[in-house]
Amino acid sequence: MKSYVLYPGCVMPTEQYAYEMSVREILPLLDIKLVDINGFSCCGEPLKSVNQMLSLALSARNISIAEKEGLDIFAPCPMCHLALSESKRILDSDPAMNEKINNFLSDEELIYTGKIDIVNTLDLLHDIVGIDKIKKLVKKPLNDLKVATHYGCHLIRPSEIGRPDDSENPQKMEKILEAIGAKPVDYPEKLDCCGGLLTTNLPESALTKTGQKLQKVQEQGFDAFIDTCPWCHRQYDSKQTKAGETVATKLEVPVFYLTQLVGLSFGVSSDKLGLDLNLSPVDKINFGGK
Amino acid sequence: MGNKIGFFVCHCGINIASTVDIKELVEYGKTLDGVVVSKDYKYMCSDVGANLIKDSIKKHKLDGVVIACCSPRMHEHTFRGVVEAGGVNAFNLEIANIREQCSWAHEDKALATEKAKALARGAVAKAKLLEALETSKIEVTPNALVIGGGIAGIQAALDIAEEGHKVYLVEKSPSIGGHMAQLDKTFPTLDCSSCILTPKMMEVANHPNIELLTYSEVVGIDGSIGNYIIKVKKKARYVDMDKCTGCGDCMAACRLKDRIPSEFDEGIGKRSAIYMPFPQAVPLKCTIDAENCLMLTRGKCGTGPLCVDACEADAIDFKQKDEEVEINVGAIVVATGYDLLDPSSLYEYGYSRSKDVITTLEMERLISSSGPTAGEIIRPSNGEKPKSITYILCVGSRDETQCTWCCRIGCMSALKHVYLLKEKLGDDVEINICYTDIRSFGKGYEEFYRKIRGMKTNFFRGKPSEVRKSGDNFTIDIFDTTTNKLLEINTDLVVLVPALVSRVDAADFTRIVRISQGADGFFLEAHPKLRPIDTFTGGVFIAGCCQSPKDIQDTVAQASGAAARAANILSKKELEAEPLISCVDEDICSGCGTCISVCVYNAIELVKEDDKSHAKINDALCMGCGLCVATCPSGAMQQRGYKDKQLRPMIEETV
Repeated sequence: MKSYVLYPGCVMPTEQYAYEMSVREILPLLDIKLVDINGFSCCGEPLKSVNQMLSLALSARNISIAEKEGLDIFAPCPMCHLALSESKRILDSDPAMNEKINNFLSDEELIYTGKIDIVNTLDLLHDIVGIDKIKKLVKKPLNDLKVATHYGCHLIRPSEIGRPDDSENPQKMEKILEAIGAKPVDYPEKLDCCGGLLTTNLPESALTKTGQKLQKVQEQGFDAFIDTCPWCHRQYDSKQTKAGETVATKLEVPVFYLTQLVGLSFGVSSDKLGLDLNLSPVDKINFGGK
Repeated sequence: MGNKIGFFVCHCGINIASTVDIKELVEYGKTLDGVVVSKDYKYMCSDVGANLIKDSIKKHKLDGVVIACCSPRMHEHTFRGVVEAGGVNAFNLEIANIREQCSWAHEDKALATEKAKALARGAVAKAKLLEALETSKIEVTPNALVIGGGIAGIQAALDIAEEGHKVYLVEKSPSIGGHMAQLDKTFPTLDCSSCILTPKMMEVANHPNIELLTYSEVVGIDGSIGNYIIKVKKKARYVDMDKCTGCGDCMAACRLKDRIPSEFDEGIGKRSAIYMPFPQAVPLKCTIDAENCLMLTRGKCGTGPLCVDACEADAIDFKQKDEEVEINVGAIVVATGYDLLDPSSLYEYGYSRSKDVITTLEMERLISSSGPTAGEIIRPSNGEKPKSITYILCVGSRDETQCTWCCRIGCMSALKHVYLLKEKLGDDVEINICYTDIRSFGKGYEEFYRKIRGMKTNFFRGKPSEVRKSGDNFTIDIFDTTTNKLLEINTDLVVLVPALVSRVDAADFTRIVRISQGADGFFLEAHPKLRPIDTFTGGVFIAGCCQSPKDIQDTVAQASGAAARAANILSKKELEAEPLISCVDEDICSGCGTCISVCVYNAIELVKEDDKSHAKINDALCMGCGLCVATCPSGAMQQRGYKDKQLRPMIEETV
């Protein structure tokens, strides 16, 4: 049993509950214990374009809080994972910045030492738990379900920081899906943006990006569409109907979190995985009784 | 022993004079023990400066000279000549570097002057202890080795052979010709590539001074400039070269006919296990590919090898073995060429995902009338004529994540293809070119580019982010930086123009030949501007794309240059040996052999005298690198001109 501090971020605990539910369900089955602690703040990523120093300080603050526990951080949200990882990289390689940030932190009697790692869902499932272990737990394989994967941007870019998967040809979700019996198929639009980050400034364009990608996925006859990012999921799942209007198509693509599909294959019941919280037509697929 | 030293200070214009107080330094020189004359001049390397030194030597009967000036790398050679002409042994000269290591590095004049004095003090101390040395002579083997039978190697071999020297041309594939033989036409004049290359290949084959060793590799090199001993592995062809007539009957009979991807056709065409790479191959002989031939891999080929039945000349011999030959040469020209970057490493361009994404060299084979499609342009996936072809330039070139350099031929080769494709497919075919910059820098290139621009071609200035399959075709999103618009290209054949990279085995090769690789993998020249053909190893020259990417014009010019540089050595009866080499104090040497293990030139051996063994230096092989000197545990090994007893006083005086 390996323990991680769960860094929940903002979107998951306030809106995308299904992600949190499914994560909390499946990880213990894979001998991963999640530890909840007090005191976390915003990861800092949304502030990066306004005040980079503040963004760095917030990330470092979160990491140093976890350091007190002596456990690595598990950040399910790719955006939080990027903010924390980037901050770690800067502080580990730039002594001057490290000193400056630690000065900030000293007000709260915190200190950043850089001794812990920051992992994402994909790292956990593919690299730390491993495909073999996942395979062993599968009770209800997903019967060649044809699945389109969506990695989103924060999970794979920028590559020089070291992201969970390759920036041009990510394959870890595919490996996990194969392990649980599904049939992932690469498609040309796989790396397209979800549009989510345009929502504040250009809401119409944001939905168009979402619609265009789902339309292509629907045309190519996929059974399901999966992601691991709460921001992307909000676009594809919660806003699917609206997105369909921008491309004049009735979109009916079942959208899941990767962790939900993994849970289903482990035989976890759909209500425990928060499937009823998905707004896309996930009941289109019959997973063989509840 | 020098007791009458002349001290000369150079101003180097203002390069030294603006930071070092010359007058003070000259006055200081006069106070040093052993110095009998101290003078300065604005440019000591000029004729006037040289005469000043020579006159001083005569007038003051000097036996040693110290010059405070620029780095010895610049003018040591010049000044050695000057003092020798003045009547002092060339090796009784010591240079104090007060430019690179003093005036250029500092700003404070007073401190820099003090440092210059310290350097001068050290140099004078060493000069007093220097010994006169004689340069010995080495006889030269008047033959040359050319490695690589592409256009660079061919040109170099022909030029050296015309000078009257014997040339061994070693080529690792079954035929000479290299990449140039694969091309259809050449830019910007559109000469047919094989029409201009084949005559040169024939000339090589028939030249009385050239010995051609194809399907062979250089596996070892011993010796040094003037006398290299080369080991060449002649790979077994399993065909008797004397009997084979090149009729090709065996190729037609082979059970694996049209089954093995042809290297020459870039995998688009297929060949048999017994093959000739292309119809104009030199030598016009067949070769059996031991990795695929059924007889050689399984020991059995159906009811019996069909090639043997087909061969009327009875030339096939499965018992042939690799053979090693030794040749002696005085100079080496390395012309091993380049590889194309495998575009699979840029996953986004889809080379590994679709047959209809090809490289320029593959397109070259499609265009060639002797190619696998007899010159018909087709989409490899379905054999249909493409209606729209898109070129992506700089694939991996000028890209910080792949190759930072420019390939220098990509732009022009794509423009050439536009012309040839329009000629073959008619004016209706749509051709898109996605470029970063069109670099049409050579003679006649810009004019050629202008001509192509008038040929209904779409030029997009930008790098596509991705080549995306859509149905049977591709869509390419490109942000055109000339119009600031995001455009979408629909196309059915994509041609990638990949970066040029060093040969895959370049690192191993440099170890054999003892030359260096630059950070980009290409072989390193001795000086980027003034010695672009020489390497750091005496008598080894580089030509063509193994040094850096270049077009055929520049390659041929460089090859002729390399031939001339090699002939410089070969035309001399003897060379002057480097006198600043190692020497052994035999009384101290215990014969431990540590020096032998570090010597990369194989210049040291152990000899036994009176029951005691000691190291012995081969003066002709030693290059004076100093490795053995630094390694010797007892101090028996010393380097002439840099002996401990000369360096120690220098250090003590300086610091």
